[in-house]
Amino acid sequence: LNAAPGRAPRQRVRFLPAPAPASGGGGAVELVAARVPVLADHPLVRGPRFRKLKIGAGHRLDVKASGVFVLGIGHGNKLLTELYNCHLTKVYTVRGLFGKATDDFSDTGNLVEKTTFDHITREKLERILAVIQGTNQKALLMYSNIDMKTQEAYELAVKGLIRPMGKSPPIITAVRCLQFALPEFQLEVHCLHETQQYLRKMVHEIGLELKSSAVCTQVRRIRDGVFSVDDALPRTQWNLQSIQEAIWNCQFKVETELEKTL
Amino acid sequence: RGLGVAAGPPSTRQLREAEEAAPVFQYAGKAARRKDRVFVWGFSYSGALGVPSFVRPDAGWKKPRRIQPTPYRLETEEKISSAACGYGFTLLASNTRDVTKVWGMGLNKDSQLGFQRSRRDQTKGYEYVLEPSPIPLPLEKPQQTRVLQVSCGRAHSLVLTDSEGVFTMGNNSYGQCGRKVVEDEIYSGSHLIHQLKEFDSRVVQVVCGQDHSLFRTKKGTIYACGWGADGQTGLGHYNITSVPTKLHGDIAGVNIIQVSSYGDCCLAVSDEGDVFGWGNSEYLQLASVTETTQVNVPRHLPFKIGKIKEAACGGTGNVVLTEEGNVFVWGYGILGKGPNLIETAVPEMIPPSLFGWSDFSPDIRVAHVRCGLSQFAAFTNRGELFVWGKNLRGCLGTGRMEDQYFPWRVTVPGEVVDVACGVDHMVSMVRSF
Repeated sequence: LNAAPGRAPRQRVRFLPAPAPASGGGGAVELVAARVPVLADHPLVRGPRFRKLKIGAGHRLDVKASGVFVLGIGHGNKLLTELYNCHLTKVYTVRGLFGKATDDFSDTGNLVEKTTFDHITREKLERILAVIQGTNQKALLMYSNIDMKTQEAYELAVKGLIRPMGKSPPIITAVRCLQFALPEFQLEVHCLHETQQYLRKMVHEIGLELKSSAVCTQVRRIRDGVFSVDDALPRTQWNLQSIQEAIWNCQFKVETELEKTL
Repeated sequence: RGLGVAAGPPSTRQLREAEEAAPVFQYAGKAARRKDRVFVWGFSYSGALGVPSFVRPDAGWKKPRRIQPTPYRLETEEKISSAACGYGFTLLASNTRDVTKVWGMGLNKDSQLGFQRSRRDQTKGYEYVLEPSPIPLPLEKPQQTRVLQVSCGRAHSLVLTDSEGVFTMGNNSYGQCGRKVVEDEIYSGSHLIHQLKEFDSRVVQVVCGQDHSLFRTKKGTIYACGWGADGQTGLGHYNITSVPTKLHGDIAGVNIIQVSSYGDCCLAVSDEGDVFGWGNSEYLQLASVTETTQVNVPRHLPFKIGKIKEAACGGTGNVVLTEEGNVFVWGYGILGKGPNLIETAVPEMIPPSLFGWSDFSPDIRVAHVRCGLSQFAAFTNRGELFVWGKNLRGCLGTGRMEDQYFPWRVTVPGEVVDVACGVDHMVSMVRSF
């Protein structure tokens, strides 16, 4: 950042004594107005423009999980807090494996139990997912602290805009089964206020409901509010140019989202 | 492991070997079948829930539970195929060929559950039945006849069999049991169960209103008997009828595929998707065709909402389900579109997003609708149950005591197959996962 051309130095109007005419000394010194760069702005005087950068992080991402991770720089930190208060949903793809149960619900933990899983079909899985969605919908309405008896509550419920706007336990707004190939399966989960460990626990509970057991092999966040995988920069692109482009592209989206919600 | 080797953490190979050697547990085999269960909730002091420990606790520390606010599982001996809730009592029927086919619980002051011989005094009967007790039906071939459907009204009940007609029991002061009204008849502790066989073809559906009975036959005709002061018998007069008589009016010649009633208003759906109504119209249920408050002849209701698949009548409000899966409500009371909609004469649609429809799951559709006295219930093809309406003594099953102004999910551990709504309690038949 420091290598980039800095801001043009401030200009100030100064009255400078003009070089005195060569003929004879004395006489009135003429003052000529001239635009002169202020010495205080000279890079050698001021030093490098950026010494420290304030970087803040968005919603937490586990060590074992991967995906979109939002960072804010400088003024972006304030936008980060505002985005946090918007309570937008995050989308994860969760991969799981039937037949094993471990103590930390992922495939790297200590084995607790092995079970059979050949009775599991896609329909059974989808039924369980429908139940999970149903109970979470109820939790959504309950934690949003809206009085159910008002007309506004009804209208918001019709549009599907009821969301908990404060602290709440993890809520899953939608689940969908993307792939199902015994013993593996992949789900797409839309959730609020969750942690990755909660998603792994959910995979484990799905296994229990289906009278078997399951562990989570992969958790990947594909969308965090307005930022999706398409906007995200992979490891190879962590350089200034791409970061600046990415910030520029996302600014508009962030602004519209903030306006919509607040 | 030799003595010369240090302990240390198990290596990856050892872990893998331990994992492969671990025993495999089997919880459900390939032939694991889904079980059918019955869940009840609502007001329990009448015994209608069938759980005696709610009314008379069997352990010292238990307290009597007046209201069961969330679904509670009821253990039954057989698989229940049909259930009906009346005013404080419930009937459960199974499709078996065994001798015991129908169980009843709840109020029995008018012998609506048949004669339940009291154990203390062999001559008298129980007035409150707290547990599902078998109802003895006078069948000619008890081991061949199957019970198809049961229905309950305010103080009478109907049992439909496949080959022996309809059995009626309970209060007959208005002829709702289909037999001649006997003055000053004492209904409590009565052994009388009347059998009705004279219809033009086999009866396929029986429906009880508050004090009247409706029978739908295979040919698509409707018979009615009972109280008619609101015109709910649809026979063209306001007197009581004690013999099932055929209905005419706008439904003459129309093949009716479903009929419904719970209070004093009745609705019938034809095979072409038209809906006909008669009976009480004080709450604007039939106001789209007439200004009078009682209609005693079936009238066609010209609603332009699409082909209608199913209709359900409540005490003050009605609901229909169209072929596309949309739910329309009209009438008076908490109709399900927020607290502002209290009464309407024209059907209003409830947005499908309230039933779980969204871009994420666009194939969710309401499969059936049911009505209690002031509540509505609808369940989807995924097996989710939604209720709304007046929460009388916890009958909605949401866990809260407040009235519900828009459809709300009831968490039932299973896929809901059928629901029966009563005045202050509900029964649902659920299949486990």
